[in-house]
Amino acid sequence: MNGPETTSIERRGVLTWLIRGFLAIWALGAGVLGISFLKAPSSEKRPGERQLRCGSFSTLAIGEARLVRHGAEPLFVVRVSDSQVTAVSAVCTHLRCVLKWDGDKGTFQCPCHNGAFDRAGIVLSGPPKKPLPQYPAEVRADEIIVHT
Amino acid sequence: MAADAGGKRSIRSWLEARLNLTEIASFLSVFGLLPAELDTRKPLREALDEALSRPLPSYARWPRIMGILSFILFLVLAVSGMMLAFYYQPTASEAYGSVTSIARDVTGGTLVNQVHRWAATLLLLILAARIVRFYFGGMYGRSREVIWMLAMVTFVVATFADLTGRLLPWDARGYWTTVRAREVTDALPLIGPLFSFLVGGSGLDSLVLTRFYILHIVVWPFLLLALFYLHFSSVRRVGLSSVADGPGSRSLRVVLYDLLLIVVFLIGALATLAIFMPQSFDVAADPFATPPGARPPWYLLAPHALLESFPPLVPRFLRGLFLEALFVAVLLLPFLDRRAGERPGRRPAAIALGALALLVWAALIWKGWHLEGPR
Amino acid sequence: MKHASVLLAVLFAAATAAARANEAGMCGVCHSDVRVQFEQGVHRSEGIACTTCHGGDVAATTVEGAHRAGFRGVPRRRDIPALCASCHGDIARMRPYNLPSDQFALYQTSQHGRRLAKGDPNVAVCTDCHGVHEIRRRDDPRSRVFPRNIPSTCARCHGDAALMKKYGRTDNPYADYAAGVHGRAFLENASDAAPECTRCHGSHGATPPGLGDVEKVCGQCHATTRQYFLEGPHKKAMDDAGLPECAACHHNHKTPPAGVEMLDSVCLQCHAADSEQQKLAGTMKGMFTDAAREIDEARHLVEEAARIPLYVDDYQARLEDARTALMESFPVMHALDTGRVEPHTRRARSIAAEVSGEIHEKLAGRWWRKVGLGLFWFYLLLTAAILVRARHRAAAESRH
Repeated sequence: MNGPETTSIERRGVLTWLIRGFLAIWALGAGVLGISFLKAPSSEKRPGERQLRCGSFSTLAIGEARLVRHGAEPLFVVRVSDSQVTAVSAVCTHLRCVLKWDGDKGTFQCPCHNGAFDRAGIVLSGPPKKPLPQYPAEVRADEIIVHT
Repeated sequence: MAADAGGKRSIRSWLEARLNLTEIASFLSVFGLLPAELDTRKPLREALDEALSRPLPSYARWPRIMGILSFILFLVLAVSGMMLAFYYQPTASEAYGSVTSIARDVTGGTLVNQVHRWAATLLLLILAARIVRFYFGGMYGRSREVIWMLAMVTFVVATFADLTGRLLPWDARGYWTTVRAREVTDALPLIGPLFSFLVGGSGLDSLVLTRFYILHIVVWPFLLLALFYLHFSSVRRVGLSSVADGPGSRSLRVVLYDLLLIVVFLIGALATLAIFMPQSFDVAADPFATPPGARPPWYLLAPHALLESFPPLVPRFLRGLFLEALFVAVLLLPFLDRRAGERPGRRPAAIALGALALLVWAALIWKGWHLEGPR
Repeated sequence: MKHASVLLAVLFAAATAAARANEAGMCGVCHSDVRVQFEQGVHRSEGIACTTCHGGDVAATTVEGAHRAGFRGVPRRRDIPALCASCHGDIARMRPYNLPSDQFALYQTSQHGRRLAKGDPNVAVCTDCHGVHEIRRRDDPRSRVFPRNIPSTCARCHGDAALMKKYGRTDNPYADYAAGVHGRAFLENASDAAPECTRCHGSHGATPPGLGDVEKVCGQCHATTRQYFLEGPHKKAMDDAGLPECAACHHNHKTPPAGVEMLDSVCLQCHAADSEQQKLAGTMKGMFTDAAREIDEARHLVEEAARIPLYVDDYQARLEDARTALMESFPVMHALDTGRVEPHTRRARSIAAEVSGEIHEKLAGRWWRKVGLGLFWFYLLLTAAILVRARHRAAAESRH
C-alpha cells in the first residue's frame, strides 16, 4: 500500500464514522423525545386529580372566608368550626360576577346586582336563583385542600 | 478498526448460531420493505448483499411508492398512537382532560399528537390517491383484481380507523363530526347496524367511547396490517404493472436509499405540518350544544351529499343501498371491465369515465361541505 | 241588617258544620254544577257552607225552605269585598291560617276599590282574581293568584283594549310586559327572580306607583342602581319635572334590555344632541364599549390559546374579574358622573390588557418551535445530502 491511498482510505474511514455519528443523533433524538414523552407529569397536573392548596388553616378565623384565585372558577374557603372548612364557588349564579366577602354581615355579596349568599352558598337575597356550588374541602397539616 | 469489525462479526456470528437472523430480516418483505424474501439458508450479511445488489426492474420507484409510503405512515401512526395511549383515558368524563393534558403537560405531547393526526390525514389521502392511480394506470386488469379490491377495502378500513379516532379527544368538533358521520353510516343497510352493534348503540356515551377506542387502537390497525400484508403478498406474486419500466439497472441498495430519502422528507413534512398547521383542539364536547358548521369528515362529505341528493320520498335505507351498490360496483370493476390495459391511450372511454367520476365526486364534496345543520 | 244576617249565617254554619259530611248540604241537589266547582275550592275543605255567603237554609228539603232563612241569592258586585271581609277581615279568624286580614282595607285604597266605591261596575272585586266558588289556595298552581298565573289574571282586564279604552288607556300593559325583559324572564325563562305585576303594583292595594316613588319600587331589586341614582342629579330634576324616574328612560312595562346603546337615544328625549349631558352620555358609552371591546379581544386570545392548548384557567378567572368590573359600571352610570364610572371601566380594561399582554407574550414565546423546526430541517437536509451521496456510491458500485 502506498501513502496517498492509505490516507484516502483513512479519510474515508473518518468520514464514514462522522456520518455514522451524525445518523446516530437521529436515534438519540428519537430516544430523548420518547423518554421525555413517557415521563409522567407531576401529580397536580394530572387530569381528574385536581387538589387545590388554599393556604394555611390556622390563619383563617372561624366564620371567615378567603377568596382563592384558581382556574376559571375562583372559590371561597370558609372556616366553619375548630376543625372544619367548606369551599363554595365565588362566581355568582346570576350573571357570573365574582362575589365579595362581607366580613361584617358574614355573607357573600355580588357587586353587580346585589345578590347575597350565606356561608353555605345559599341565596339570601337578590336576583340569583341557584345556590353556589360546593366543593369538598379538608385540612391536612394546617393546609386547606380543596378537591375541584 | 479491523478489530472493531472483527468484534462485530463475532457478535453477529454468535447470534447467527442461535437465531436465523436472515429469516428475521426476511420478515421485512412481508410489508413490502424488501421486494422478495431473502435466502434464509445463507448468513445474514451474504443474503443481504445478494438481495441488495440484485437489479430491480420496478420497485419502490416513483410513482410506485404509495403502497410503501402508506405502510410507513401506518408505522408512524402505530408508534405515535402507542405513545398517546400511555396517557389517554377512554371515558367521557376524562377523555378531554387527558388529551389536553397530553398536549399541554407532557413534553413533546403536542408534537406526538399532531404528528398522529397529520399522519392519519396523509395516510387517507395516499390511499385515495392510490385508488385513483390504479384506475388511470389500468392496474386492475387480469391477475391484479385482488390488488384493486384490497386498495378499495384498505381505504374503507382506514376511513373507519380515522372515524373512530376523531371521537377520542371528546372535544366539540370531534364529537359533532362523529355525530354527523354516523348519520351517513346509519343510512347504510347492514354496515350501519353492524357498526352500531359494534360500538354499542347509536348514541355517544362512555361505553361507546371505550368501544371506539378499542376499535381504533386494536381492531382496525390489525385489520389494516393484514390488508397491507395481503397487498404486498399479491404484488410480490403478480407485480404492480406488466409494463416494464426502464432497464433493470438499479439495485435494491439504490432503491432503499431512495426510500430512506422519502422517509426523511416525510418526517420533515409531518413535523412542519404539526407545527405550522396544527389541527387545533376545540372546547370540550357538549352533547346539548351543536356548534355551527358541524360536518361529517371530508371522506364522508360526498356520500353524505349523495344521500341528501335523493328526492325526499326515497326512504333512507334505499339511498344507503344505492351507495353500497355503487361501492360494490367499483370494487368489482376488474370483473366488469375485462379490457383494462395499462396504456391510457388505448382505453379513452374508461379514462373519460374515470375523469367524470372524479369530477362528480369533487362536486359532491363541495355540495356536502355546503349542506348545513344536523338532522 | 246585612252584618246581622251574615253573622247569623256564620253561626248557623258553625252550628251545623260538624253534623254534616257535605257542606254543600242540600244546595248541591239543585245547584250541582256549582257544587262541583265549590268542592274543589279551599272553602269546602275548611268547612265553609254555601249559606255563609248566600244565606238560606242548607238543610232544608224544599226549594222554598232552602231559599227562605236570610237568603241573599247572588251577592251584588259592589257588596262582594265587604262580604269576603266579614271573615277575611277578622284577625282572630285568620290567625290560624297565618293569613293577613288587612286586604279589605288595602283594597279600599286601591284604584279598584276607589272606583268600586264610586259605583264603577267594571273594576276587579275579590272574585275576579280569586274565583267565585272554586277559590283555591295561593300556592295551588291552578289558582289564578298563584304567582306564575298573575300576569295572565291581570291581563283578563288589563289586556282587554276595549275595556281599557273606557278609562282612557291606549297602551297594553300585558303585551308591553310580555315583550320587556321582566316579562320575558318571568314568562319565557320561568325566572322567579323576575317580577310579575304585583311585585311593583301591589295586589289588594293595586295602584300605580306615584311619580316620586318609582325609584323605591324598582330599587327593591335594583338596589345598587337606586343608590347611585339617588346620588346623581336626575332624582331631583325628574321629580321637579314630573317625570317617572326609572320609567322615564326604561319604560314602565315595556322595559327593554338595558345596555349602553340606550345612551344614544334615551337622553335625547330631554337633552339636545349637542348638549353637555349628551356628551356625558357619549363619554360613558365610550368608556364602556372600549372596556367591553378589550375584554372581548382578550377573550378571543384566551380561546385561541385554549385551542393550542395552553393553560388558560387563570386567564379565564381574571377575565371574569374584568367582566365583573364592567358589570359594576352599569349601576354606577346612574350617578351620571364619569369620574365614578371610570375606575370600574379602567379596572376592566387594565385586567383585559394584562391578560392580552401575557397571552401575546406566551404565544410569542412559542417562536422556539419555529426555530427548532428550522434546525430540524437543516439536520434533515444534511441527512438527505448524505443519503444522496451514499446512493450515488451504491449506484456506481452496482454498475461495476
